[in-house]
Amino acid sequence: MSSAILLEHVTKNFNDFTAVNGLNFEVKAGDIYGFLGPNGSGKSTTLRMIMALIKPTSGSIKLFGESLGENRSEIMRKVGCIIEKPDFYGYLSAKENMKLFARAHLLNYSAAQYDALFSLVGLKGRENDKVKTFSHGMKQRLGIAQALIHDPELIILDEPNTGLDPQGIIDLRNLILTLNKERGKTILFSSHILSEVQEICSNMVVINKGKVVVQGGVSELLSQENLTVKLEVVNPVEASVVLQQSNWAGMMESQDETYFVFNMGKAEIPAMIDYLSQHHIGIERIDYRNQLEDYFLKITNA
Amino acid sequence: MNEFLAILKNELIKTIRRPRSYIGFGVIAFICLMLQGAFYQDGKELLSTVTAQFDNIFNVQGNILNGNLICYIVLQTLIVQMPMLVAFVTGDQVSGETSTGSIRFLLTTPASRTKIVVAKWLSGLVYTFFLLLVLGIFALFVSRAIFGVGDLMAMNSEGLTIIRADDINWRWGYAFLIAFLSLSVVASLSTLLSCIMDNSITPIVTVMAIIIIFTIIGMFDMKSFDVIKPFLFTTHMISWRSLFEDPLPVDNIVASCAILFLHVVIFLGAAIFYFKRKDITN
Amino acid sequence: MKKFFLLALTLFSFQAYAIDDPSALIRELNKKFSQVNDYTAHIRMTFDIPGVRMNAMNGKVFFKRPDRFRIRTKGIFFLPKQNPLQNMSAMLLDTSSYTSIISGYEVVKGKKCAIVNIIPLRNSIDLVLGKFWIDVAHPLVMKTQITTKNNGTIETENVYASNSTYTLPDQIIIRLETKKIKISKMMAADLNKKSKDTSNDNKLETGTIILSFSDYKINTKFADSEFDKAE
Repeated sequence: MSSAILLEHVTKNFNDFTAVNGLNFEVKAGDIYGFLGPNGSGKSTTLRMIMALIKPTSGSIKLFGESLGENRSEIMRKVGCIIEKPDFYGYLSAKENMKLFARAHLLNYSAAQYDALFSLVGLKGRENDKVKTFSHGMKQRLGIAQALIHDPELIILDEPNTGLDPQGIIDLRNLILTLNKERGKTILFSSHILSEVQEICSNMVVINKGKVVVQGGVSELLSQENLTVKLEVVNPVEASVVLQQSNWAGMMESQDETYFVFNMGKAEIPAMIDYLSQHHIGIERIDYRNQLEDYFLKITNA
Repeated sequence: MNEFLAILKNELIKTIRRPRSYIGFGVIAFICLMLQGAFYQDGKELLSTVTAQFDNIFNVQGNILNGNLICYIVLQTLIVQMPMLVAFVTGDQVSGETSTGSIRFLLTTPASRTKIVVAKWLSGLVYTFFLLLVLGIFALFVSRAIFGVGDLMAMNSEGLTIIRADDINWRWGYAFLIAFLSLSVVASLSTLLSCIMDNSITPIVTVMAIIIIFTIIGMFDMKSFDVIKPFLFTTHMISWRSLFEDPLPVDNIVASCAILFLHVVIFLGAAIFYFKRKDITN
Repeated sequence: MKKFFLLALTLFSFQAYAIDDPSALIRELNKKFSQVNDYTAHIRMTFDIPGVRMNAMNGKVFFKRPDRFRIRTKGIFFLPKQNPLQNMSAMLLDTSSYTSIISGYEVVKGKKCAIVNIIPLRNSIDLVLGKFWIDVAHPLVMKTQITTKNNGTIETENVYASNSTYTLPDQIIIRLETKKIKISKMMAADLNKKSKDTSNDNKLETGTIILSFSDYKINTKFADSEFDKAE
């Protein structure tokens, strides 16, 4: 599979502040790639560098195997994006805005093509309304239309769910999957919400403070075989004795006055609950998380 | 369609469709009509402030208060306002899009940043041209319709120059061309500041501040200011008035035009240089 | 013989007044003035006024006795408040308002002229002193210097050719003293001018206006409406 995006040792400094620090990752063509990080982690700066809105201080960015610095115009013909919030010309209608973008890409759209585009993003019937009358969600939909107008090979979506209603989120998810599966588009999807990435992406990279924390396949990184399980019981003293005599003793990572923490697969949890019930141990609460989720929660809260 | 022409067309559409573009036309029409009304009512009294110094010696005969004089006074009055109206639109072209965020969409199209900034600058010049055209229609043609055509009694600090009516149309033509070149300097400066700054108000205010400061320096008859005056573009911005001198100071006019053109090149070049390197962070 | 007699009579009639009697000179002059009830002529005006740049301009002049006067042109022009075309004959014709003396003789353009001083008899009129250089051989005003209370002193020089019998000059050169007309820099708003030395701005300078006449039409009894017509 060829490379759609390749970042090598990319660093961006704003005066004394390092927003992105030696970033390396690769998005393969045909992939839906999750780009995850808490707010302020350097996601948007990275995406802006990929879209040539910001120049990297050092490092190399290649799209479709070509250097962005040298072949920006050619590359941009193959890339569509929404970077942060979609901002259009409020004094123009949605269709007039799209006409501007179509013209900028030297496209001559027919009325039918505009109809199809607005139907695709769920704005049919509102295309002649001024954009200043649109809600944030509608602007987000229009942003997606703008990103797709020139039928790009690579679509970069920076937190596209922001402002969308639940149905909008589902629609967008379906649209991304359709674009990827039926039309072979490569999608780089950024979010600060792990579950959004988990649901649609095949690969992901997590960054924090401008550095890669982890990257790989979503299924491996979010494996259910290696969960952090937190067990709270009514009678912890008895429970401790019972658990020390069980098969799960070796999986226990820590214990406190009221809870125990295990590292185990999801499949083990029902058997452990049965075992504790048989020994009359009252379970107050059981909570489990993937280690990555656990880490991500920590950095997000931080 | 050629990529540059496509983005130029986009810029022109945006300029045409933006409500703020029409404020300038309204202001010009209002100022012209207001001054014409004032001169219609009290023009002779106002003129007497000029003629008072030779009233006891000379009778000035003929229609002094004519359309050409009104146009001359209106253009002189608008020396401060016109740059403001130009900056009001051109100063917002890049920074306005930066502040609203729409610049991101613009810069993720295949068009290069140089083409984008030149297209914006050119659309600003087209706007400036139409602003001057409206000014010309109101200041010259409407004034002539109201006050009639006659010799122009041009006032400058050297004294009075009477330009005959049958010798004036070509002067107005060149005067408006020089005024266009002067306002192109303002448009280019606004474009530069608009590229540097990220909100739409600061470039407009900065352009006006520069023009006001330079104009004040030019106004004061002080020897110490004479050293810096030739280097201020505002000094050359009013070169249109030289077309109403006799004999025509051709060398001065050509020199001023060259200096103004140089300013345009420098400001536009700096705008392109800066914009190509600018990080779009908002 | 008859021809000789007629010539002698003519010459005698020109010398029928005493050249040292100002009243007689003026009387002869007024006789000539009185022949002209009205006239029209083409006029070309050239200006050299301190602080005023103005090209020459053409027009048509209309005059009717005693002092109706109009120059019809398409543009702006400057004339002295004391308009010699309007005032000179009217001033001399009103013999009851002044007394005259000859203060001397001077050759002007090769012609012997008596310098006739006109002194007003009433304090109420504007004239302070009028000096007329009158050709004693063929009474014509060759030069004037008129001082008034309100408008200072102006001098004229008259050049005669075809219409000297009517005392109508082909050219009048008007000279007058004036301060240079100037507009304040604030009002003129010419930022592109360097500051100037203003120490001489209040000095009086001489302004010159030259009026050249041609195509005189005398006593045609043109309509009064000509004075009011626009060009």
